[in-house]
Formats: sequence, C-alpha cells, structure tokens
Amino acid sequence: MLKIENKADIFHYRALLFILCFALFSLLSRYFYLQVIDYDRHFSKSQINSVKALTTYAPRGLILDRYGEILVDNYPTYILTVTPYELRDKEQEFVKLSSIVGIDIEELNKRYKKYYRGPFLPTTVAKNLTFEQISQIEEMRLDFPGVQYDRSDERIYSSILNDAHFLGYLKEVDRDTIPKLDKNLLYRAGELIGWQGIEKQYEKELRFSKGVDYIEVDTYGREIFRLDSNNIPAFPGNDLSLTIDANLQRYSRNILEGKKGSVLVSNVNTGEILSMVSSPSYDLSVYRGTTSEFEWNNLLKNKDKPLLNRSIAGLYPSGSTLKLITVINLIENSLVDPSDSLLCTGIYVPPGSTNEFRCWNENGHGLVDLNKAIAQSCNIYFYETVQLISLKDWTDTAKKFGFNASTKIDLPNEKNGLIPDKDFYIKNYGRWGWSERGVLLNLTLGQGDILITPVQALRFINHIASRGETAQLRLNLSKEISYYDKIIYSEKIWNHIWDGMFDVVNADQGSGWRARLNGSDVKLFGKTSTAENPHGEPHAWFIGFFDVEDTTYSIVVMIENGGGGGAVASPIAGDIVSYYINSSKSLAEN
Amino acid sequence: MLLDQFISNTTKNSVSRLFFIIIGLTTFSLMTLYSISDNPFSSDSSFYRQCVFLLFSFVVFIFVKNISMKTIHDNSTLIFITTFVFCIIPFFLPTVEYTYRWIDFGFFYIQPSEYLKCATVIVIAKYLSNHQLEVKDNSIIVVPSILTLLSAFIVLNQPDLGTAVIICAPLLPMLLWAGVSNFTIFLMITPIITIIAASNIIFFTVWALIMFICFLTFQASIMTKSILYFANIFTGLLTPFLWNNLANYQKQRILTFLNPDLDPMGSAYHIIQSITAIGSGGFFGKGWGAGSQTQLKFLPVQESDFILSVIAEELGFLGILCVMILCFLLIKTLLDIAFRASDYFASLVIVGLGSILLSHIFINSAMTIGLIPVKGLPIPFISAGGSFLLSCFIMIGLVVSFSKN
Repeated sequence: MLKIENKADIFHYRALLFILCFALFSLLSRYFYLQVIDYDRHFSKSQINSVKALTTYAPRGLILDRYGEILVDNYPTYILTVTPYELRDKEQEFVKLSSIVGIDIEELNKRYKKYYRGPFLPTTVAKNLTFEQISQIEEMRLDFPGVQYDRSDERIYSSILNDAHFLGYLKEVDRDTIPKLDKNLLYRAGELIGWQGIEKQYEKELRFSKGVDYIEVDTYGREIFRLDSNNIPAFPGNDLSLTIDANLQRYSRNILEGKKGSVLVSNVNTGEILSMVSSPSYDLSVYRGTTSEFEWNNLLKNKDKPLLNRSIAGLYPSGSTLKLITVINLIENSLVDPSDSLLCTGIYVPPGSTNEFRCWNENGHGLVDLNKAIAQSCNIYFYETVQLISLKDWTDTAKKFGFNASTKIDLPNEKNGLIPDKDFYIKNYGRWGWSERGVLLNLTLGQGDILITPVQALRFINHIASRGETAQLRLNLSKEISYYDKIIYSEKIWNHIWDGMFDVVNADQGSGWRARLNGSDVKLFGKTSTAENPHGEPHAWFIGFFDVEDTTYSIVVMIENGGGGGAVASPIAGDIVSYYINSSKSLAEN
Repeated sequence: MLLDQFISNTTKNSVSRLFFIIIGLTTFSLMTLYSISDNPFSSDSSFYRQCVFLLFSFVVFIFVKNISMKTIHDNSTLIFITTFVFCIIPFFLPTVEYTYRWIDFGFFYIQPSEYLKCATVIVIAKYLSNHQLEVKDNSIIVVPSILTLLSAFIVLNQPDLGTAVIICAPLLPMLLWAGVSNFTIFLMITPIITIIAASNIIFFTVWALIMFICFLTFQASIMTKSILYFANIFTGLLTPFLWNNLANYQKQRILTFLNPDLDPMGSAYHIIQSITAIGSGGFFGKGWGAGSQTQLKFLPVQESDFILSVIAEELGFLGILCVMILCFLLIKTLLDIAFRASDYFASLVIVGLGSILLSHIFINSAMTIGLIPVKGLPIPFISAGGSFLLSCFIMIGLVVSFSKN
C-alpha cells in the first residue's frame, strides 16, 4: 500500500469539533430545560398523572351437552394480591388479613415468597375468597395499602358429571410454559389455561378475549381517573356444545360405579359421541387449588389410576373382537368357503408342533362353520384358518380399520395402541426368536402384543356398522362432519360379518346372549371378547351396534379385569342400549 | 498532572483515554440495567445478558485491534461487497418480526446492516485516499455518494429508516475532511434542507431567499448557479408527492412527532412518558432504583432505546451531564486521533466512524427528549443489545489498530 500522508486541515478539525459541541450542547440545553427549568411541572405530572393500562377479564365459555344442559359453568371468586412496594407494614397487614381470610400467617408468607415477581408487581397471596370477605377488606381499605383483590372465575361442574374425564380442567400458567403458548391469546403467569380434555382442545374457542381499561394513576398506583373513551372491552369466550347426551352419560357412569373400565356410545352416521365414561374417576374440582397435598398424593398414587381417561388412553389387549379381521381376510381371498365346517374338539395342535392350544369351551364346539365360529367365538376355527393368512395381510387389514393409529377424536393425549407387525417382532424378539405361524395364533385371538384403546374399538365397530364409510369421532357438536378413509369390501364380506354378529346376541348359543333386548324390535349386533392379560382376571369387552329410527348407534363396553365378555360386558351393554332406546322413545313422544 | 496527561494530545495517551471513556459509559449502562431488572442475576435479565455481551465483545475487540491497517485497506472492497451481500440475503429468507433485518443462525440473530455502516466508511475512505489529487474536482463526490445511497437504499427497504440515516451520516464529514470544496458540500446539504422546508410555505420562502444569497457569494458560472438553484426549488415543490409514497408507519411517526396529541396511546405515548420521566428527575435525580416512571414500567423499551430517560430520571441532570461529557470526550478523542494520524486512509476511517457514533448519540438522545421522531436507534455502549454493542467494539478496535500507524 502506498503511504499517503495525512493532510487534515486544522480548519476542518475545528468545523467538526464545532458540530460536535453544537449537537451535544443543544441536547444538554434541552435536558436542562426539562429537568431544571420545567422540573416542577414534570415532577407533579409524574406524581399524579400517569396513564396505566389495566387488563380486564370476561368469563370463559360454558360447556353444554347436546340438548343445552350446562355441564361446566363459572362461579365468581376473588383473589387477593399485594404489591410489595406499596405495603406499609407487611407483618401487621398480614396479621389482619389472616384473621379476615382465615389463612395462617405462615401460609400467607409462604405464598408471598412463592409468587413474588418484583417490588412493583402484584403478588397473589390468597384465592377463592368470598364476597363477604372482600367486603370486610373493602371496609378497612385504609388499613391495607398495597392490598388489592381481583375477580377470578373458577369452574363449577354439573352434579354427578363432575368427574367426566373428557371435560378436562384448567391450570395456572407458569412463567416457563408461556413461551410455548399461542402468543395471540396473551397469557400471563397465574392466569388459567385449559390443560386437559375439552378445556385444552377448545382453549381458543372457550377463552375470553382480554380487554384494556386505561386509567390515570399516581406513582403509588392509586386510581385517579378513568379514561373510558379509549377502553377496549373484554369479551366472554364462546359456549361450546358437546355431542354428549347428559342423561345417557349419567346412566352409563352409574352402571360403571365401583368397576374399572370404559363405556362409549356413538352415532355411527355423524361420529358424535353420546357418552364417554371412564371409571374410576375423581372430582374435577380438585384442580381448583384448595386440595391438600395428602389428597393429591392419594389420587396420584392410587393403584386404580383414577386420573387416566381409559376411553382414549387406556391400552388393553383386544381379545376376540379382532377375530373379525381374520374373517375379512379369509373371505376376501376366498381361503375358506363360509359354509364349510371344521371340527372343534377343544384342542388344536399346530402341524409340526407338540404344543396344545385350547378352545375356551373345553368340550369343543363340534362342527363349526364361519357363522357359528363368530357367534360362539370358537378359537379352534380361527387357529386352523389363520394358518392360511400371511402376517402382513392380517396386520394391514387391522391397520386399515384404524388400529395402531390415532382416531383423531378431538381430545388431547390419545394413545395409538399397537398392532405388532414384522418389523416389531424382529426388533423385539430378534430375527429368529419368533415364527409367523406362531404369532398369528395369538393375533387372531387379539392376544399377544396387541394393544388397543376403547375409542379405537369404537371406530372399528363404526366401520363395520356403516359398511366401510364412517364419520370421524368427535365431541364438539358444531364441528363439521369429516370421514375416515373409506374401507371398500364386497357386500358379501359385510353380510357374513353382520350375520355372525347378529347371532352373537340373538342365536341360542351366541356368546353375547345376555345383551339381548327383550321385548324390543330393535336389532342389536355385537361381538364379545375376553382378553387374557398378565395383570389378573381377563378384560371383558362387548362391541355392538343397533338402529333406532334410521340412525345407527354403536356401543363399546370394556370392563378392566372384569372376567368374561359374555358374562360381564354383555349385560351392561344390553342395559345401556335398552335405556337409550326407551329414553329416545320418550323423547320422541314428548 | 493527571489532568495534563488526560488532555495531552499524543496518540498513545488518546488510546488509553478512549479506554477510560468506554469504561465510564459501560459503568453507566450496567448500573442502569441493574436498576431496572427485576432479578438481575437470572439468565434472562437484560443486566446479565449485557455482561455476557460485554465479555464477548471485548474478546472480539482484542482480535480486531490486532488486525493491521494494511489488511483492512487492501481488502476494503471485498469487506464492503461481503457485508452488502449479507444485507441482501434476508430478503430471500422468511421475515423475522415482519422485517428483513435479521439473519437467523438458529441460536442467534445477526443484523448485517450494523456492519454495513463500518464497511461503507472503509470503502469510501479507500476511494478518497486513492484519489486525493483530484479532490478539488467536483466529480470526486460521485462514487462515495453512490456507494452511500446504495447501502442506505438496501437498508431502507428492510425496512430500517434509522440505520439508513446512520449510513448516510459519515458521508459529509468525510468529504469535508478530505478537502472537498465548501461549495460542493453546500450543494449536497441544500436538497435536504429544501425537502424539510417544503412542509411549510413560509419556511420554504425564507429558505429560498437564504439559498439565493448563498449562491451569489460562491464563485461559479451564472449558468451553473441558476440551474442548481432552480433544481432545488423544484425538488421542494415535488416533496408533497414524494411524501405520499412513504410507508404508513413512517408517516404516522412523523405526524405524531409534529403533533403528539394526535395519538396519546400510540408512538407519542413513548415520547410523553419519556419526557415525563426525564423532567421529573430534576437536577439530582430520584435516586438509583427509585424512579417511579421507570420502575412502574410506564417507560417503554427502557433497557435499549429509552435507557437515557432512565438515567435522567434516577440520576438527574447530573447523570446526563456526565454521560454527555463522556460522549463529548469519546468523539473528541476520535477526532484528535484522526487529526494526528500519519496516514490519510486511517484518518478518514476514524472520522467516518466518529460520525456514526455521534449520530447514534444525537439521534437517540434527541428522540428521548422529543426533538425528533421515535427511530428505534440505540446509544453506543449504554443501550442493551448484543449486535450493536459488538459493532461498537469493532469500531473502537479499528480505531485502536489504525492509531498505531
């Protein structure tokens, strides 16, 4: 680089220095004017005249059943906050507060520490105050500088239905979760957010929109004047109508009282869920924040898992309902003639093996054709015929009916279940640790590694009841109907399955005869299953469908460790179906 | 004796003086950020983050300080083109907060226009130092002006009016420093004043008269002078049409600046709250951590754009006086170094960088006291913000490196 001498001119140096001095001097003189000459005006303005934006709230939307009965309502409570900077004598104020509110001073101090956010921000110290308590504080206003109260709605539930899992609950938002939430809904720490179930799924619809009140306050935050003209009003959230039939829900819930399990009833044509019960349950109001740690631990550690919504997140072996998958594969590929019979002696020994597989009926069913095999749920028939099917065909058919995948019902935390395929077996048992013929013997009975949720069973029965094309399951009444991928089979296949399922309930030795609707002209189709499992008694299943006035309804009953599907689940299903038929009859008459 | 040493003009002393000034400014910065953070030692507080940024910037400073001037000089065109390209890249990426200012590197954002400011100064300095002999020729202003306007144009479209103004700021001081004739400089300023004056018919008439007298005193052919004069007048008349092409938010900012009562809760809310905070601080201030306007969060963006208002409220006019004296010494020291520098290129770069820092200081302070519209420009070494702090330290690193020659 060629060295070029600096030939800066002293005139230019002075010119720039002048600009610098001029710029900074003009700034300083303005500061001087504001801070020294005009000080009094600005200081008094800062004392009394500051516009503060206050957030206002509106109630959250209600949750209703399909006929407009209120399932979840709001009731007003008050929360007590203190602003640390404004407290004159914290200890003394807390002593007085604790006598009014009825909370220990230690508890107040503990919460004060826990929720402290900074000297100028209100800190919540008590919740669920009554109007009387607030009035008492208001009367002694002058003794409580820095103490405010705010309205804060809590949820209240319709009696008996206060334990419906699908409703879900609200939770206080904490600072760590806020960055993960939808920014447009403007959450602040301490506000309530739908955390489970419908409350979470439809948070956007149910949540109110916040408003803003502009008020002039002094430096101590005392309100001087309301500037009403600029206020933005808060709007309540939208009410949400569910597809649930509150009466049916109550009836099925009472039937499950004392049992573990799940009941689902749906409208096949529209995908509407009329009843969704999971038992045992718990009172949803435990989430309101007054629950003691002891009660809480009891709930969390309870062996019966009351917090689990079994209908969508309970995983169970399906048992013989999945024999229908085998039936479809057999007829579709013309592997058996439905009228051909096999001899069931009660024992099956696979070719080349010495292991004995037994039918549930130890004496054997005698000669069994396809229809009888479904109706009486004969294991031997399926042991023999499943040998004609490949593992891939079987699992593909099962997956077509939505197993191993979410039903996309409008609830969070649904489980996918499991249909074990070749990859699964290789991964879990090694390349040579299993045989296709062997695992098929398990799969055709819905046993082995298979896991399904009751709501998947509901989707399965809806596909069958609608002969392939059924609406997506949903709980929101106003949600548009959408359909699952259509399953296409010949009418012949559907006829055979329907015939078999009709006989399950209505034939002499049908395994589900206890579900029979005596004295009704409604035809009930069904399939029972008794799912063996390592945790005790088998799970009892009944899935079925029936028509009432041109509308098809379906039902799934699952009793965890209940025993036989025929003996335990069928009568429950029969009761619920009769109740529903009678109540819709009386509804029609009115 | 210490004072003697402090104001003595040898280059070595100037560099150490620079150090003391920056330590002073960052002390003000950290004190203020500590005062407004709810929980200064949590990792998301602006105080904590600024400490981390300072450490990082200091490391980069050490690195830049050791780059030789020759390397910078020889690669100046490359540096300019690279930063320029980086400023264009955001237009092809998804927007960040509705602008094309940032490049998202996954775990941090980079605002390339921060570095385009320095790059433009360097490339102009190189051009001027290479054409020193033609400096009396008016055509020397063409290339620097085109480079500046091109950079400003790109940044303006991001859109970032504030940084675009900053990019234009060093041009005139550098041309002046290079020895371009007063007449040419005057010609460059006139259109800007004409446009501002065009908003009001009386201002415009007065300005047209002043301009006329000025033109008479300069030595040039009658033809040239009259063409230039009328060109100015026409620009002024066209301004109202150009105004209509401004983006709405820019119009709104300028309008509420002219009449703050138009929108008490919008942009002007910031200025009103800022002036109240500053004015209520008085001569001695309300005390560190005791500013009611600041602490009750009436004052918006108080950790970056309006940090001076916090200082003014809590530490009073005395605090502001100290900050302004430090700012004065900072720019004055840069000017001294530029004046004493033995190399012409170095001298020009330092003047350019000094102009950038001064315009940041001026625009930011003027904004807090309502002298100009809200621009969103931070003040060097005091405002919180990593990208800007880093670019300030890079500038000082360049100055220290150049002052060695």
